[in-house]
Amino acid sequence: MNIKALLKSLLLRKFTTGLLILQLAITLGLLINSVILAVDTNNKLAENTGLDAENTLIISLHPTSGDYRDLDYYRSIVSEDLQQLSKLPGVEAVSLINQLPINTRGMLGNVYDLDDPEIVHRDKYLQDSKIFLTNEGLSKTLALSLLEGRFLTKADQLDFGSDKNGNVLITQSLKKALYGDESALGQETNNGRIVGVVKDIMLNPTIPVDKQYGVFGNRVMEYIFTGRYYLLKVSAGQVESVRNQVSDTILAVQAERDIFRVYTMAEHMKRFYRHDKGLAELFLMLCGLMIFVTAISSYAYSQFHISRQKKYIGIRRALGARKKDILLYVLTENWLVYSIGCALGLLMALGFNILLSQYISLSKPDIMLFLLTSAVLFVAGTLATLIPAIKTSNIPPVIATRTV
Amino acid sequence: MRSNNMVAYNFTLAMQSFKRAPTLYFLIMLTLSIGVGVLCANLALVNSMASDPIPEKSANLFHINMNTWPDDQPPDEPMHILRYRDAMAIAASDIPKRSAVFYASGVYARDIESTNMKRFDSDVRATTPGFFELTNAPFAYGSAFATSRGMEVVIGDELNQKIFAGKDSVGKTLELDGELLTIVGVLKPWVLRPLFYHVTEGRAFNLTDDIYAPLETAIDLGWSIHARNSSAVDYAGISETRGLDVYYLQAWIELEDVNQRTSMQSFLDNYTQGLKDAGEHPLTIKNEIHNVKEWLKVNKVVDQKVLAFTLASVLFLSVCIFNASSLLLSRFHAAKFEVGLRRAIGASNRHMLMQGLTESVLLGLFTGVVALVLSWLFLKLSVQFLPRLANVAVLEPKLLVLGMLLALVTSIASALYPLYRANRYTISAELK
Repeated sequence: MNIKALLKSLLLRKFTTGLLILQLAITLGLLINSVILAVDTNNKLAENTGLDAENTLIISLHPTSGDYRDLDYYRSIVSEDLQQLSKLPGVEAVSLINQLPINTRGMLGNVYDLDDPEIVHRDKYLQDSKIFLTNEGLSKTLALSLLEGRFLTKADQLDFGSDKNGNVLITQSLKKALYGDESALGQETNNGRIVGVVKDIMLNPTIPVDKQYGVFGNRVMEYIFTGRYYLLKVSAGQVESVRNQVSDTILAVQAERDIFRVYTMAEHMKRFYRHDKGLAELFLMLCGLMIFVTAISSYAYSQFHISRQKKYIGIRRALGARKKDILLYVLTENWLVYSIGCALGLLMALGFNILLSQYISLSKPDIMLFLLTSAVLFVAGTLATLIPAIKTSNIPPVIATRTV
Repeated sequence: MRSNNMVAYNFTLAMQSFKRAPTLYFLIMLTLSIGVGVLCANLALVNSMASDPIPEKSANLFHINMNTWPDDQPPDEPMHILRYRDAMAIAASDIPKRSAVFYASGVYARDIESTNMKRFDSDVRATTPGFFELTNAPFAYGSAFATSRGMEVVIGDELNQKIFAGKDSVGKTLELDGELLTIVGVLKPWVLRPLFYHVTEGRAFNLTDDIYAPLETAIDLGWSIHARNSSAVDYAGISETRGLDVYYLQAWIELEDVNQRTSMQSFLDNYTQGLKDAGEHPLTIKNEIHNVKEWLKVNKVVDQKVLAFTLASVLFLSVCIFNASSLLLSRFHAAKFEVGLRRAIGASNRHMLMQGLTESVLLGLFTGVVALVLSWLFLKLSVQFLPRLANVAVLEPKLLVLGMLLALVTSIASALYPLYRANRYTISAELK
């Protein structure tokens, strides 16, 4: 096959070829970036959270009556709720908490060792540590794993209105930030005395994994009105049956409650990434449309070309070219166009990536992705030109004998 | 008369042309309308996110940021939330025509006369009375409360529909988290897009509130803060916060004259300088005032994801135009003989151009209609994928016009080069 001759023939129809190449390049550029977005989102969703997401149920609720302004009443109802929920078959543990992991905001605060308050200037993330008000059940409901010391116990709960800070559990990365490799046990922070360190769980996915600073204190009964979530650890396979019973169980204790949602930690995480996923899906949808449009163009391009070249192809056939040769000729011509288009597409992808990253965060394109998406484009384009190509190869040599 | 005839003639020719190659024209129309539809849907989203919710006085309304955090570890600098005494100092100033100081809360509401015990989850704006005139809140019945104290509320249309079936409920009493408050005003349906008075904490496209309660009353009743709040001290409930360094109030002012902005700025600076002199302002003084448009911009109200997707849909539309262009080229090429013949018997370049344009305009009109239907569909689809946009997805009339124009322009643009080429076909070449 003579590439030079092919190039020459392409140059004869600069405009249409140029348009097709441009289309291919744009399509590839968008395709690459859309796949990046989709892959990024999937990676985020697959990230290790340190949580047993499938078997943790979350109940978010709020009382609706004024009676709950009496905090003792509020506490007694909540205690009864937790008692009844723990009796449900399949429930392994229950707890109460003011905010959920996998969230950007929530209750945040400074955390520092009382001997070194200045540390918050050296590590800004310390100013936005997550402050969890919870109870002793949390270690079981979130299946926390202990690295040193002990979990919170019932005895760690302070008297209401106490001005002491009490005992706290902290995450591993917070311990590292405050004490390095030394033990944190017994250290006094502005939030309380450290009695245990647990392995990190994903608190805020938008900050680095080694900055997941969290402090857990057994204080939610004191600030009962912040206890917006019940957490249930459920035996594997029992999630649905428990989920169906929680609302009735809670309302049977006291009916004046608004139960917003009952959902698993996995659903909570999906919800968190819902918009990232939605955007990636929108982009992929657009790509599908774009490939479709580009395929139409490829088809029209070959068709147009052939209608102009009928005579020459007839001559070639008359001079001894086989059907196979003509088919290969037309396809090669298209592949050449695709190759140029894809090469340009790489530039387009880089440019588009830079442009997009001004609005959203996405990874850089890599060569494997480029090859893969190019292959997709090649297949789509080849399929689209196959019909005109076969038609061309069917041009009978006798055409050559007609008007010249 | 003659020109009319020509238009009709061109029209007939165009229809004939469509009939001769229906698949091809259908493909052109389809690709162009998908392209225009997607872009138009995105522009509709951007348009409603970027619109001015209160055009009559957005230049005269200002949001205030201050930097009065009591130690050197502020959560932000400056902060959009203020503590009670700073907010009250602003409200007491006589420079603004009026002011509004508020925080967002929530209660459960029920009509005390109702036998139904169902209580409705209601968003609350606990505010000073200036809020209503400042935001031009539209009243259906009754009026605003006159002071920041008193057991009175104004309710929004939606809640009034839910509890009172939309009737005049002024004078009725609501049970709100166990307290009894009387309705003094009911608003008309009120759409603010974006919700300029509270765009922070991702609330820019929330609906307007259900209940508007006097600020001091809400604080006294201990209605909790539902938006961002930061405090430098521990406190047990909001009722204690008046004298404490608890930051949760937002302040807006309305200036009679935009030029008073500088005097307002110096008022704030003087006030904070006073604090500094008393040793109560450890941070550098940094007071900011933003009018509505500036405030929307500072808070990046236009969704960045939608902007990114709009960019992609512009590219997509260009691909569609290229596609239509190459399809048209092949169509014109196939009709070469006819064009050559017509030119040979006397049609001028101008006539040929007019005819080609008539065809494109007609095609553009069809495309426009299909595109508008598609853009409505895409808008629904976008909300499926990005549910946060539910309150933003509206096709305003001006977007419909824009969509139509876009369809016409793209249709003509894609025909330009093919037309130019067609005009160079010569009869001699064809008859050879």
